[in-house]
Parts: sequence; structure tokens; C-alpha cells
Amino acid sequence: MSSQILAEVCQCVEGFGSAAKEGRWRTTLTIYRPVARDPSSTATSAPVPMPGDLPRDFLGLTLHDRPGAYFFILRHHRLILQADANVQSLMDKLQSYKARVVLHFEGFQYQLGDFMLRVGKCVQSHADTLRGIMMEVEYLPLSSIDKSRQIMEDFLDIWQDAVIKKSLPGQFINVELNFADYGLQDQYTPQHTALQYATCIVQLMATVRS
Amino acid sequence: MECVVQGIIETQHVEALEILLQGLCGVPKERIRVHELCLKSGPSLAVPSEIRLLCDLAQPTPSWTVRHVGGAMRGAGAEQISVLVRTMVESKVSNNALRFFYSLGYKLDHELLKIGFAFRFQRGAPITVTVTSANKMPKLHATDEAVPVTPGIQMVEITAPTAGDNYNEVGAAVSSFCEYLAPLLHLSKPGVSTGIVPTAAAAAASLLSNTGGANTPQLLYLFAMSCFQMTLLCEADAALYPLHEHDTEVL
Repeated sequence: MSSQILAEVCQCVEGFGSAAKEGRWRTTLTIYRPVARDPSSTATSAPVPMPGDLPRDFLGLTLHDRPGAYFFILRHHRLILQADANVQSLMDKLQSYKARVVLHFEGFQYQLGDFMLRVGKCVQSHADTLRGIMMEVEYLPLSSIDKSRQIMEDFLDIWQDAVIKKSLPGQFINVELNFADYGLQDQYTPQHTALQYATCIVQLMATVRS
Repeated sequence: MECVVQGIIETQHVEALEILLQGLCGVPKERIRVHELCLKSGPSLAVPSEIRLLCDLAQPTPSWTVRHVGGAMRGAGAEQISVLVRTMVESKVSNNALRFFYSLGYKLDHELLKIGFAFRFQRGAPITVTVTSANKMPKLHATDEAVPVTPGIQMVEITAPTAGDNYNEVGAAVSSFCEYLAPLLHLSKPGVSTGIVPTAAAAAASLLSNTGGANTPQLLYLFAMSCFQMTLLCEADAALYPLHEHDTEVL
């Protein structure tokens, strides 16, 4: 994992010839932790619910193309909440959950025919260590996930071939997500994107641990 | 942040208040039907906190807002002004907000259905006046079965946003507007109860009998005359002030 590999991935995209570089992008993911009461500190005899009742998979996201919105995800509860961006200020004032880790997905985006590609690195806020390299592929003409499934799979096959030919170490992993588990429909929305970034970070953390 | 004052009015005088507000504000009223759920942090969370989820039932498709009202400003500056200045943050949220906050460890403390109307206008500051009755539900979330908590009494609230560095100007704009309403109700900082105004009945009767489609200057003149007859000279002067600006001779 290095900036050199990221540069070579970008060269892979630019090697398609018709890819037009369109500027930078950034998505921010925050991992929240509960500010839990210490069960041993209570003076009452009544049973106190253990802090284990509180979610530990609580994520927040700001998407690159939705600066006015904020997305909260509770993975265990299969919940995604969309709110205005100032909901972060509200959460700060509640002091019930604190931001523990902030990660930025950032890089360059390219228009390649009907596709928009965003290639970037994952870095922790205020740190230079590269945590991962990711790519977001958007097919612009269609909003239906089912109808665009085949063309997306075909594109990914082409992309994997290009990466192999470049002899890059490692491989891109596409983790399928069942959006229906979160109550989302076939029509693609920013909530779908937010869920995919959450899945991406879980995959990244699992890979690092292994 | 926001500046806020509150007061109460008898339901029988709300129609007169609406007429007066219509004349003063010059904007159409908005209907209010809001299901308000008050959630408090559960015992697992270290810092007690409270939020309100507001479901707007007046629109064809219900929309949700989460609101947090913080502590009031303290100190000499706060004591000198007649409005309460407090932090307030609200955000639109998707319709699964209640399940979301339950999952975060919040519990439902109580719920109300607020029914009434609001006027939003600009007068020195963006001001919102709401007149609502609070209704409780006999069963969980049963908004169709709601009954008034205090039959015969409704709450009036006036709010205006402030950035924090202009609360004196915003507070002055709110206080100035409150003077127009003085014969009908007194508005004060939340928690400072002033009760029902004794002149409300006479003022309301005067408004209802004399308006009938009058435009704002005529409405204000008639209201000023009512105040003068009740020896409410300051309120009469305040009602006539817009007429002074246009150099209209006052009898």
C-alpha cells in the first residue's frame, strides 16, 4: 500500500485514452463511540443496563457530492438515517456519542464515457498513513440497480484486466451489499452510496486485521 | 441560537389574536399540526440529554425534524434583555429517526400533538409567531385521539434566530413586536409566568367587532383606539407608530 501504487492505479484509468480528469473529490467517514456510563459508578441498587446495549458500529458520512447532507449508519441495526449537515453540531451538543476516528476518502475523478470514476486513497484525519486505495464507479445513464448490474459487471471485468496487465500488487475487491436489508429500493440514491462507503471501510478494516 | 418569549391566551381570544397578527404581519398564516416526541437519553449514556422529534402532519407527506434546545445565556447581558437567548439546533431527518434514536439509547419521555397556526415575517429580524394548543394522546402515537392538555388555554411563542453577536438587536425587534400584542397577552421569558392579561376580553371584542376586512393601517388605528379607551396609552402609541411614519394625522 503506497502512494506509488495509487499513482499507478490513476495511470490505469488515464490509460483508457478517453478518460477526462475532472478534479478532486473527498468523502469523510466518522466512527462514533458512545459516551457510556460506568456501571460501577452508580449509587443506586437498581440494575443499570450495560453499555454493551449501545451500538459500537455507529458511522457518519459526508459525501463528496452532497455537502448539505449527512448520513448516519447503524450497521447492526441495518439503519441508515439521512439528515442535514448541521446534524453533526446537534450530535456534538448531545455529548452522547463522540467522534473517535475520522477517515477521508479522497482523490481524482474521471469521466470515461457514460462512467464517472473516482480513484482515491483512504487516510486517517491528521495522519499521512495510507489505509487503503479504493475506486468508485458510477454509471450515469441509469438509476436502477438491477438494470445496470450487467454493464457494471462488464466494466469491472475490463478494469480488473487492466489492473492485471499493469502488474499491480493486490486486487480490487467488490463487496456486494444487500440494500434491501436497510430498506432501500432499486432506485439508486445517495443513501446507497453512503452504505457502500461504510461497507468499504468494514472490508478495509477486516483486511488490515487479517 | 434563538431569542424566545412565551405567553398564554384563552382559546376564546385566539381568533382576535389571529386577526391582529394577520394585520401586523401581512403574510398568510401557516397551519400547524406537529406530532412532537420528546426523547431523553437512557441510563446507559453518561451525559443526560434531550431531543425532540417533530413530525409535521400538516403537509401531504409527513416530514421529520430533530431539535435540540440547549441552555439559556447567562450573565449581566442576559438579565438586561426581556427575551431568552438560548442555543437551538435543528435538522431535517429521514422518517426512520425515531427508530434511529431508540437504537442510540434514547427513550420516549412524552409525546404531544401541537395544533394551531404560525406567522413568519421580517420585522427587524426574521420572526416566527406560533399559537398552538398542546394535546396529549391516550394511546402511544394515537394522534387522531388527542385531547387538549389545557382546554381553553393556548400557548403563544415568538422566536427569532440570532447568530450570538446580534442578540441585542434581535431581542429588541422581538420585544418591540410584543408591544403590539400587549392588550391581548403578555409575553415573557419561558419559565416567567405572567398569566392571562385582564384586558384581553375587551381588546378581543374590539378587534372582532371593528375589523371585518380592514387593511393594516385601519386595523392598527382601531386597535389603538381600543387601547386608548382602556387607558393603555403606551400600547396605543405603539399601535399608532406605523401611522406616524407615513405622516398621517392622528385624531
